[in-house]
Amino acid sequence: MIPKRKREKNVLARVHENSRVQAAETFIFPVLFGVLVLILWQNQILHKILHTDTFTLPLPGRILMIMSDNADKILSNVGATVAVAVIGLAAGSVFGYAIAILAALFRKWGAAGLGIVAAFNAIPIVALAPVMTNWTKDVSSDAAMRSMVAKILVVTIVSIANMSFNAFRGLTELKPFAEDLMSSYAASKKETLIKLRIPNSVPYIFTALRVAVPSSVISALVSEYFAEYIVGVGRQIRENIVLAQYASAWAYIVAACLIGIIMYGILMIVEGIVLKKHVKA
Amino acid sequence: MKNLKTKVLSTVCAVAVGCGILSGCGTAVKETTAATTTAAVETTVAAAVTTAAAAETSAAATAAPAASLTNEEIVVKAAQEGKVGNWGLGNEYEIQALLMKYGQPTTYLSQAFDMDGFDDDSISLASAMTYNELGLVKNDYEGAYAYGDTVGFIDMNDEGVAMLEDNLFCNREFAESNPNTVKAFIYASMKGWEYACANPEEAAEIVFNNGSSVSAEHQAYMASEVKKLVETDVNGNAVTQIGNMDETAMQQTLDLAKQYIQLDDSVAKDNLAALTIDDIRDTSYITDAYASADGVFGDLEKTDVSIQLKWLPQAQFMGYYVALDKGFYTDAGLTVTIVPGGGDISETTAVNSGTVDFGVTWVSNLISANAGGMKLLEVAQVYQRSGLVLVYKYDSFQ
Repeated sequence: MIPKRKREKNVLARVHENSRVQAAETFIFPVLFGVLVLILWQNQILHKILHTDTFTLPLPGRILMIMSDNADKILSNVGATVAVAVIGLAAGSVFGYAIAILAALFRKWGAAGLGIVAAFNAIPIVALAPVMTNWTKDVSSDAAMRSMVAKILVVTIVSIANMSFNAFRGLTELKPFAEDLMSSYAASKKETLIKLRIPNSVPYIFTALRVAVPSSVISALVSEYFAEYIVGVGRQIRENIVLAQYASAWAYIVAACLIGIIMYGILMIVEGIVLKKHVKA
Repeated sequence: MKNLKTKVLSTVCAVAVGCGILSGCGTAVKETTAATTTAAVETTVAAAVTTAAAAETSAAATAAPAASLTNEEIVVKAAQEGKVGNWGLGNEYEIQALLMKYGQPTTYLSQAFDMDGFDDDSISLASAMTYNELGLVKNDYEGAYAYGDTVGFIDMNDEGVAMLEDNLFCNREFAESNPNTVKAFIYASMKGWEYACANPEEAAEIVFNNGSSVSAEHQAYMASEVKKLVETDVNGNAVTQIGNMDETAMQQTLDLAKQYIQLDDSVAKDNLAALTIDDIRDTSYITDAYASADGVFGDLEKTDVSIQLKWLPQAQFMGYYVALDKGFYTDAGLTVTIVPGGGDISETTAVNSGTVDFGVTWVSNLISANAGGMKLLEVAQVYQRSGLVLVYKYDSFQ
């Protein structure tokens, strides 16, 4: 028994301990799992497991065919959805960060203020979207424009809370004695904010965005359901499902997944670059 | 001590502000959510209908300013301004056919399930069902819009772009393996419709007592309008047989559907182009049902059956509720469960998957479902003419 185990360790474990191999493994295993699911899906084994048929869960081949046939149409809908998600996310994050700074500067009011933000965060998107659609009726005589504003507002509101909570922690949970050190230097509130609090909050911003990015995509998709102007991936999913066009709906569902994955991927890359610099600094 | 005092005071203030904002936004959300679900539209009506009787009299008292524009001019003006509204989701084809008829682009605004967009003029030419939204716009219920005779409407039947709506359908396979059940179900259902159309007020009451989503008064209005759709055909002639599938109207529906249903799926697109009316309906079941004098069709293959409605319980479906309430289904040897719809319920999917046996849908929805690969079969056409109109304020089109 013992020699056998030794040999195992020699071959497999040594390979496994290699950091490059480990890096590759984190990439390879999820991809292999994805390929396995696709194979099960295409061969309808997945359908047996889920007790469904190829009608409600069409085969990947057919979905891809629809995507390539309608690339232009899907891309223009993707563009509309991404614009809403990105602009709303940016606006919500800036706004949320500003709230966090105010809360950090005026601590007594701040905590209660964040409570109110939390309450706003609890409003479901399906309730928020029609409110925003009605509220923006006077924004523009162009329905495409005012629908866009309404959808962006929904994403903004959803994005605010996340950023506020995380940034507030980043701005207030400082290293021990860091604040005392600043005050011993007779640093003003402003200097403490700029030199200590804001740099300290950077990793927390990314923690917030990790949650906010996927939720901004979801909010954009759902808000499209209620918008006056008919455009976007979410709206197309709904139209196709109601018309019993499941294969087409799945083409848009795949597009929605890709939007989420790509936006998350970009965030990860940016986070890697920024945090590396941050640590060095 | 002072510090504690400030702390307590500030917390109290913050909580007060928080509560204020919360209760404020709470109400706003409630109102608007309510407004977007159709159920709520009718609830508003429900709350209001007490003064219903007064509605028409007061409306008639004020002088009615008629529109000085023709239907074509109205459609063109609204289309140019981008203010034509429809709910979409398969309800838009007649509107698109009308826009096309007058040489306009077929885009429209997404209309919520209430008439607020029409009320605030963001939609100047709004879609409405004669039996539902039109009543909501015209009647003088508290909470309704009380436009009375200051609004006019464009009828899809008159414009020659009518498509058939509420039908009765099931899976082709279900019909072929349960022919007697299907015939018995049609027999009892049509008997229910016949009774409902002869006694709309009683029918409305029956629907109301069966978990209605709207008030008794609005049900009565709806029943009286639905009766017209069931008993009159697209040309305005009296219908001889309730549930009859008129070849010409059916063909017109299919032709318009082929022209306006946009499908991304090339397989479905080819299917749609190849569809004939024989792929979507079978007249043999209703013919046999009417040929029977007593509604007895030999051994019933299945006695417990269910029917999926396209929408919430309302007089739109009064025939089925009457058949249930009057025991017509029991007489035919059937135990029937009526499953209400609502929101984004896809009745075609429910029937296709076998969750329910029968369904009520619009013919255009059945057509796109069959193009998508379902094998659904219409066995009766309850609504013989289109109930869809475009409503407008005379003021907007002078």
